[in-house]
Amino acid sequence: MKNSFQAHFLIATVCFILGMMLVAQFRSVQINGGAVTSLQRAQELTTELKNVIDERELLKKEVADLRGRLTEYENSASKVSGLTDAMKKELEKARMTAGLLAGNGPGVVIILDDSNIPKQPGEDPNLFLIHDEDLLKVVNELFAAGAEAVSINGQRIIANSEIRCVGPTIIVNSVRLAPPFVVEAIGDPDTLESSMRMRGGVIESLQVFGIQVSIKKQDNIDMPAYNGPIQFKYFQPLKAGEKQ
Amino acid sequence: MIYPLIGFLLGIIVGIYAPINIPVIYAPYMSIAVLAAMDSVFGGIRAVEENNFNMNIFITGFFSNTLLAGFLAYFGDRMGLPIYMAAIFAFGVRIFQNLAIIRRLIVQRIFQKNN
Repeated sequence: MKNSFQAHFLIATVCFILGMMLVAQFRSVQINGGAVTSLQRAQELTTELKNVIDERELLKKEVADLRGRLTEYENSASKVSGLTDAMKKELEKARMTAGLLAGNGPGVVIILDDSNIPKQPGEDPNLFLIHDEDLLKVVNELFAAGAEAVSINGQRIIANSEIRCVGPTIIVNSVRLAPPFVVEAIGDPDTLESSMRMRGGVIESLQVFGIQVSIKKQDNIDMPAYNGPIQFKYFQPLKAGEKQ
Repeated sequence: MIYPLIGFLLGIIVGIYAPINIPVIYAPYMSIAVLAAMDSVFGGIRAVEENNFNMNIFITGFFSNTLLAGFLAYFGDRMGLPIYMAAIFAFGVRIFQNLAIIRRLIVQRIFQKNN
């Protein structure tokens, strides 16, 4: 009888430890949210995403509307006097530099697509995809060769455009793009093309991995304007003649 | 049979109020350790029912099983070897076997009393 009591007491002690372990484990699983996100949460997020997308569409319309009105003001102001006319020309130039004007001109169209070489088992699939770095190199090379305006899949590259991997897609100007990537550049077509085809250059290094690249010279490329929002929250410009 | 349950409930209560937190990286190994602990407990209960309970074997078994299971799972992960799978399989099979035997013994005892 004594032995049985001892056994029960020991098992109780061990159960005590087991209970503590279980609670600790349960808690850590709860903190991590477990492996599966609940369906309800996914639905919640989907609705939220839809709302945000709707909101974004509305805001986009508003931006376009306000842009239109701004042009109207500019036009009506330029009619008033020669001074404003000169100012308008200056403004036009600044907006051209900023990438806020759509336009056209000669240049090259570069189409980049993921590799079509069949993947061997055990090979890193990442090698055969186009990454943000590849696009960045192409864009950088184009600007170095004197490109005046560059766009990727219709997204104009401006001073603070980003090119970044987000999962399987690449984000440019906060817009997700998927391959094939069409990079359009306005500039001297011959210079641009030869800069791309340089020995040991960008295209050569991409073609090693079978990434499909085609470069076409064109006499006329339509370049879209940057149509995202422009905000300066932190940057304060210096006034003319002011010193720091 | 009532003492283990009381111990278990006490453990849960203490666990809830005591701030024991397992780092996220160690959670998978902890789960293996919990499995090993459960195996030991059921093994112990079975031994009591069969009247061949040995205190030393039970206590050493509990601690060494729990610690070794957690450690081996961790070690296996370092080596790229899924030892935790073997642990889940081995302990899982034993837990259910022990449960079946415990159930049988209890049922037998109850019917013997009635007879």
